[in-house]
Amino acid sequence: MLDNRLIGLVLALAGVIVAPLLLPVANATELLIFALVAASANLLIGWSGLYSFGQAALFGIGGYAGGYLLANTDLALLLPVVFGGLVAAVFAVAMGAMCVRRVGIYFIMLTFAFNQLVYYIAYSWRDVTGGEDGLFGIERPGALLPGLPEIDLNVPINFYILVAVIVGLCFLALLRVVDSPLGQILLAAKDNPRRAGSVGYDIHAAQTLAFAISGFFSGIAGVLYGMVYWIMPIDAVHWLTSGYIVFMVLVGGTSSMFGPLIGATIFILLQDFFSTLWARWPLLFGAVIIAVVMFLRGGVIELVSHVRGFAARRRAMRGEAGNA
Amino acid sequence: MTTGLIIVQLMNGIALGALYALMAFGLSIIKGLLNIPNFAHGALYLIGAYVAFEVSSSLDSFWLGLPAAVLASAAVGVVIERFGVRRLYGSAYLFQLLLLFGIALVLEQCVILIWGTLGQSLTPPGILMGAVDLGVSLFPKYLLFTTLVSFLVIVGIWFVIEKTHFGAVIRAGLERREMVSALGINIELLFTLAFAMGAGLAGLAGALAVPLVGVSNTMGTDMLAIAFVVVVLGGLGSIYGAIAAGLLVGIVQSMSALWVPSASTVLIYAMMILIIAFRPQGLLGER
Repeated sequence: MLDNRLIGLVLALAGVIVAPLLLPVANATELLIFALVAASANLLIGWSGLYSFGQAALFGIGGYAGGYLLANTDLALLLPVVFGGLVAAVFAVAMGAMCVRRVGIYFIMLTFAFNQLVYYIAYSWRDVTGGEDGLFGIERPGALLPGLPEIDLNVPINFYILVAVIVGLCFLALLRVVDSPLGQILLAAKDNPRRAGSVGYDIHAAQTLAFAISGFFSGIAGVLYGMVYWIMPIDAVHWLTSGYIVFMVLVGGTSSMFGPLIGATIFILLQDFFSTLWARWPLLFGAVIIAVVMFLRGGVIELVSHVRGFAARRRAMRGEAGNA
Repeated sequence: MTTGLIIVQLMNGIALGALYALMAFGLSIIKGLLNIPNFAHGALYLIGAYVAFEVSSSLDSFWLGLPAAVLASAAVGVVIERFGVRRLYGSAYLFQLLLLFGIALVLEQCVILIWGTLGQSLTPPGILMGAVDLGVSLFPKYLLFTTLVSFLVIVGIWFVIEKTHFGAVIRAGLERREMVSALGINIELLFTLAFAMGAGLAGLAGALAVPLVGVSNTMGTDMLAIAFVVVVLGGLGSIYGAIAAGLLVGIVQSMSALWVPSASTVLIYAMMILIIAFRPQGLLGER
């Protein structure tokens, strides 16, 4: 297991280095940001069995909260970033506490309703969110913390490196969470909520905590997203974004935290490719989603493990043949 | 604020709530029988609206547009069930959800491809133009008509479900799916019919909405969100809860438009959160 994770981390690092060479830097930055959202969504979806269809709400709240500070104050960069994460985490606690009391379809519908609640608030609270036009004027302050020397973050690659470091640290923290006792409780509650509950764990509290953590990291991703194009678009809190995040998680595979990273990569590549082909690219995208659900249900990560299992069996057979 | 205005808003709310009830009733039937969160319900509503608009304006007859919309949405529903959803019975919710999300995406984009992104409007047919005098104030005839049609349809379906043999099979299916199929009833056909019925109701709601709000390609998503709220409010295991909750949401939305017009949509969600906090099983739901 450990060496699988090491391989994963090395590959992820390689991906981070290669991405800005193959893609426009802004798109590569977006890729990292969505990888973080997808990984934090997987804490709910894969680890907790909480099929959240409202991740965009958390992403968006963070983006608006942090973006508002970046557009209207001169705070050093990391403060709005953390602030966005915290605001999203607080909202996530409220949302999670309500939603985890329901299971199955009702849970999905509730998270979706929360998503729309946030969307309509963003839509009507023009003074803060800019409404339909999005929140304009988001800056990338040069100082990371008050007193630190300034970096020119308007150079795309500098900003990319900063995002890579922040996303990398957040991802490591997420890995730490899934390894922790909390991660184990979430897994247990997913497999058999009644048993996990009767052993004495407060499942709802653990799941609400998972919401908070997921919200924190999604919120951070939201603030970073606002900085990529200097605007927080209202589309970011639309339910379509939640759908895309679920797609990233599922297409990558929920059984590993690395799956969503692959999923986010696939999403960004497909989106870039399709959007150059046709203005109606969501149609192509929808068709891909349908195909994936029909034919590739374990996600790419399971495809990889199938192939590896197959290769291992081949090696074993060859080994036996050699011994004979 | 006059009593007349309040009564008019109340009736507006009932008319709006009747549309929500149609949507949520269809969602509940699909949810109850097939155990599937139909994320394509908004797209089916959208299709109903555009087909009604197209048929009504090109044939100059709303009376043909209405059934055409119901049939079109039901037909699309049959296709979705036969070739999509059916293959995923028994698999995790998330896959069903993602499939329906993909389908909704494709359908919405197809609507844009065919009819463009520009919103359009349609006047109600001549006989439903104008207003009736309620004594305290005037009320648009068309709103009375939508309320009436919605309730007749809902009562009709209630009658079918509660009083006929076919309805007995549906009720049995809601309770124990496996048992019904063990008794030799063609459960697959039942599922297809249920999905078509739910889809047809969405189409009807879409068609009825056209003379009120016109057509636009975002109307499906907006409606889907409200329909989900209504189903959650209506409650677990109760298909009729959706009707009560639909009316409640419609009335709250249109009454609140009197005092806080800009927040009336947000208010619906706030109400949902309040009700779920104090009554997690929903209004008519069982624990």
